[in-house]
Amino acid sequence: MPVELITANHAAGKAAVLAGRANRSARGFGSGVYPITPQTECIELLCRESIEKGEVVRVESEHSAMAVCIGFSIGGARSFTASSSNGLAYMNENVFAAAFYRLPIVMMAVNRTLGPPWNIWVDHGDTLALRDTGWVQFYCEENQEVLDTVLLAFRLAEHADVLLPVLVCQDAFVLSHTMMNTDVPEQDAVDAFLPPLDLPHRVSDTPRTVGGMAFPHETERLRLHHQQAMDAVGAAYAECQAEFERCFGRRPADAVVPYRMDDAEIVLVSMGTTASTVRTAVDAARERGQRVGALRVRMFRPFPAESLREFLAGRRRIGVIDRDLSPGLGGILWGELRGVVGGGSLVQGYMLGLGGGDVRPAHIDVLLKDLLGRETAGPPQIMEAGT
Amino acid sequence: MEIRLHGRGGQGGVTCAKIVAAVHARLGKSVQTFGDYASERTGAPVRAYTRVSDEPITNRNKVYEPDHVLVLDNTLLGDEVVSGMRAGGTLIIDTPEPPTAFAARYGAFRLATVDATGIARRHGIGTRSLVIVNTTIAGAYARALEVPLDVLESAYGELGFISNFEAAREAYENVRIAAPPGVRPGNAPGNGAAGPADVLALTAHRESPPTQLKTGSWRVLTPHYVQNLAPCSAFCPAGNDVIGFIQAVVREGTAAAAATLGRSSPLAASCGRVCPAPCMTGCNRVEYDGAVNIRGLERWIADRVPVARQDRKPCAQPRRFAVIGGGPAGLSAAYELAGEGHAVTLYEAERELGGVLRTGIPTYRLPRDVLDREVAGIVALGVEVRSGRRLAAREVAQLASDFDAVILATGLQQLRGLKVPGVGLKGVVQGIDFLHQVNLGGGVRLTGHAVVLGGGNTAMDCARSALRSGADRVTVAYRRTDREMPAIAEEVHEAVEEGVRMLFLRQPVAFHGNGAVAAVELAEVAMGEPDASGRRAPVVSGRSARLECDAVILALGQSADATLLPPGWTLVDGRLHGAAGPLNVFAAGDFSTGDGTVTHAIGDGRRAAGRAMQALDLGVTVFERPDRKKAVPATDIRFDHFARAEAVEAPCRPAEERLRDFEEVRPVLPDALEAHRCFSCGQCTQCDTCLVYCPEGIVRRKTGGYDVDYTFCKGCGICAAECPRKALEMVEPCPSN
Repeated sequence: MPVELITANHAAGKAAVLAGRANRSARGFGSGVYPITPQTECIELLCRESIEKGEVVRVESEHSAMAVCIGFSIGGARSFTASSSNGLAYMNENVFAAAFYRLPIVMMAVNRTLGPPWNIWVDHGDTLALRDTGWVQFYCEENQEVLDTVLLAFRLAEHADVLLPVLVCQDAFVLSHTMMNTDVPEQDAVDAFLPPLDLPHRVSDTPRTVGGMAFPHETERLRLHHQQAMDAVGAAYAECQAEFERCFGRRPADAVVPYRMDDAEIVLVSMGTTASTVRTAVDAARERGQRVGALRVRMFRPFPAESLREFLAGRRRIGVIDRDLSPGLGGILWGELRGVVGGGSLVQGYMLGLGGGDVRPAHIDVLLKDLLGRETAGPPQIMEAGT
Repeated sequence: MEIRLHGRGGQGGVTCAKIVAAVHARLGKSVQTFGDYASERTGAPVRAYTRVSDEPITNRNKVYEPDHVLVLDNTLLGDEVVSGMRAGGTLIIDTPEPPTAFAARYGAFRLATVDATGIARRHGIGTRSLVIVNTTIAGAYARALEVPLDVLESAYGELGFISNFEAAREAYENVRIAAPPGVRPGNAPGNGAAGPADVLALTAHRESPPTQLKTGSWRVLTPHYVQNLAPCSAFCPAGNDVIGFIQAVVREGTAAAAATLGRSSPLAASCGRVCPAPCMTGCNRVEYDGAVNIRGLERWIADRVPVARQDRKPCAQPRRFAVIGGGPAGLSAAYELAGEGHAVTLYEAERELGGVLRTGIPTYRLPRDVLDREVAGIVALGVEVRSGRRLAAREVAQLASDFDAVILATGLQQLRGLKVPGVGLKGVVQGIDFLHQVNLGGGVRLTGHAVVLGGGNTAMDCARSALRSGADRVTVAYRRTDREMPAIAEEVHEAVEEGVRMLFLRQPVAFHGNGAVAAVELAEVAMGEPDASGRRAPVVSGRSARLECDAVILALGQSADATLLPPGWTLVDGRLHGAAGPLNVFAAGDFSTGDGTVTHAIGDGRRAAGRAMQALDLGVTVFERPDRKKAVPATDIRFDHFARAEAVEAPCRPAEERLRDFEEVRPVLPDALEAHRCFSCGQCTQCDTCLVYCPEGIVRRKTGGYDVDYTFCKGCGICAAECPRKALEMVEPCPSN
């Protein structure tokens, strides 16, 4: 497997191209793309590549980009796009549509702060605002994981029990524009991992309307099916992990990634690259004799409630670090996590690195000190990381 | 190991960090490299970072305590570049100075200096507005960190920078490194966690806050409004301010355009009809959608407003000049001299002034009322005319002693002959004589088939005049191909439209006939190897054929008639010399140069007049033709800024109609809208492109141009890069604020 020095934007783009080519013996690959900082490098790579039986359509907006993906996908093509921040907000209507059509589209989102005022740096609020669109969501913490997760996302999305779109998120600049040594798999291995797509409900020779009127009793059933598909993700994901390991020799991480959890009394829960920094802070705390552990939530939808419940059972203090704000509530991850933790634990919400500040171990130390000093949970705290 | 780079947006700091990472990746290390990204553009201080480790890298933070620092722009030097830097680390600076120059300030560090900017500039690395140093300084880094040169080279190959490797090698070989004098404490570690700034609530804002950031301090290059030479003006042999009169039509009106023309030439209406228009060959629009119809515009202007100036400059000590020859060179010289306020007597062999314009060029190209009006304008400036008698050599010598100075502009009177059998037959005539007769109303009548020999404008004039003088058909035989023909392409085209047949690669070897010519024998010619001038010489073959004809017109060129010169006179570089040395007699026009066009003659007449006045210490500047090589090339024009538009040309009258008379073939342009196609190469038109593209919004209009607010100009060069016409350049050293 050749190792390349590439950004995570290019890692995602290369994975999409490999996945697209892998469907050449079936209905090929199609993508609608529109640029936005900081994901533009990804779609530029897509536009540059020549993909056998593939088409990359440059459109005038994110709304149309997703509409093009829906069209390709419903025709049986493998489909991919990328966006970010306000682009995702503009795309919103068709993000719902892709999921309600049950289309296995994969989208890479670079997490960027929503404006105004304009800010190009990382914040998870843009994709967490898509929480209820019916997409599977992953949050990555390093370049290789971005590449692997995009490949894995196609397999998961196209799983017969799932058939849902998958969103692969990565942090703006900290990953998107950072180059690291990255294993880029050969096409043969990707071909073996991603069999040709045979979408059961694809539109073929006979023209027909998709997604016309549905009555309440029908819609109830369709929503139930959607929920059942989400419920099936856990088992399908385990299959995908095993297949991935067989084809590429490395195992993608679980939905929830533990760190030094065995005897931890204090647990810090986070997503994305914050988790890397948290681990450094955990190591330092352990050296001070504090029994601290960490969890990274890699899969946010479906929410890995069972796994989290098991990991968090009996822990005394749980600090949830959100890089997002749902104004009027607090952190979104915190809000979700409260529902799965037993009554004996103190769950304190923190928001750190809103708007893209460089979250450093020192910031985690401050947060940890606050958590250790608490006997009861208080309202969510907005911590300031500065520049 | 952590490395931090300090540069400016546009210098490629992020790419430099990538090169550093790629080098270490090739040595088997885990690497991580990234830049600081913001909305700032070119010129803003930018940092980039590289981490190198034997273990997988999990640190997602910026670098606050670098082991090594690269400074791509020495204007950034300060405490900030070494913030948090570890003692003993290497500080690499882009500067021509030696390391010792920085020892006092950065003594805690190992210092390496290299003139990366100078090296990159010598290797031509960068954009049209900025030098880019990243690939160069990486060579110095490699040397300072003891990375083998071949590892660096292979990294450049992989990254696609191999063409920049020679610059990197030069930096590798020339970087100067000084070890730290001893162990001194490094800087305090940067904690990176700046305290929360006080931020005004969005709802508290009542107006846009003034920016506190004086970005002018970022500047290394400064935009400077310039006037560059336009190719049209550079190419005009007459020395017309071509771009000046075109832009005057657009912005100041016809009278101003005519006045601009009149400063260099009194014969614009004539030139606007007969000039081969080298300006249009040079026009940068040629490569885009065709040259601006400059000739048509010159005529449009001069047909409306006579261009000749009407007032002489006041002159304290008027001198007396004789000008011999009333053709374009002599008229131009007389105009120049009279305009300067001197007394001019103009001698002409013919009854009327005009020279070749009157005797050579047919009226269907240049109507005589147009010529008469322009000549009258020149004479009205106070030129005394003595016409109707050809001067003998001794009279010329007498004039040289009677006048302060003499201009000799008698043109080419010696006809180039043809030494082949039968050239003396009746019906074989010289083209110049034929045209002279036709043009001066000699009532020439031809019948049957006329053959014209030659390929210049005279040949075309003869052929078309022959058709208008009764010939049933006309053939032009030329010894080279259409590509080599010196005649103006439009003239050839119009001749063919009128029915003239062209025969190429044919040379006459004999004329046959019994008393009167009945046939010309034409040998086939092949094009041989190029000669010293680059022109391919014709090689006559043994194959020939007879072409029946009733008349033959020879248009093979002319040369100067030296019999006009008094004995003992010689021509040296445009000035006549007698036995005792240089005389105040200057040659002008074809007599001097043989360039053979009206526009060359006008320019040379002006130049000879200037030299004559200079010889009399009259304190004038002699007109010299500008250096074409200094003109703005097409590659400096931003074509994207201009809509494509075909050139406007007034269509000729239909061929069958114009053959019936000697009336003018081509009408004047309907309007001067064609002038709006002018790119205005090298000269600001106040198009506002710089103002629109300035990312800082600090270019402001002022009368006649723009002001740049240097407090905020960060020298990004976008204005200069976007300037459609190369009227704005980035200069250094940077003028002070």
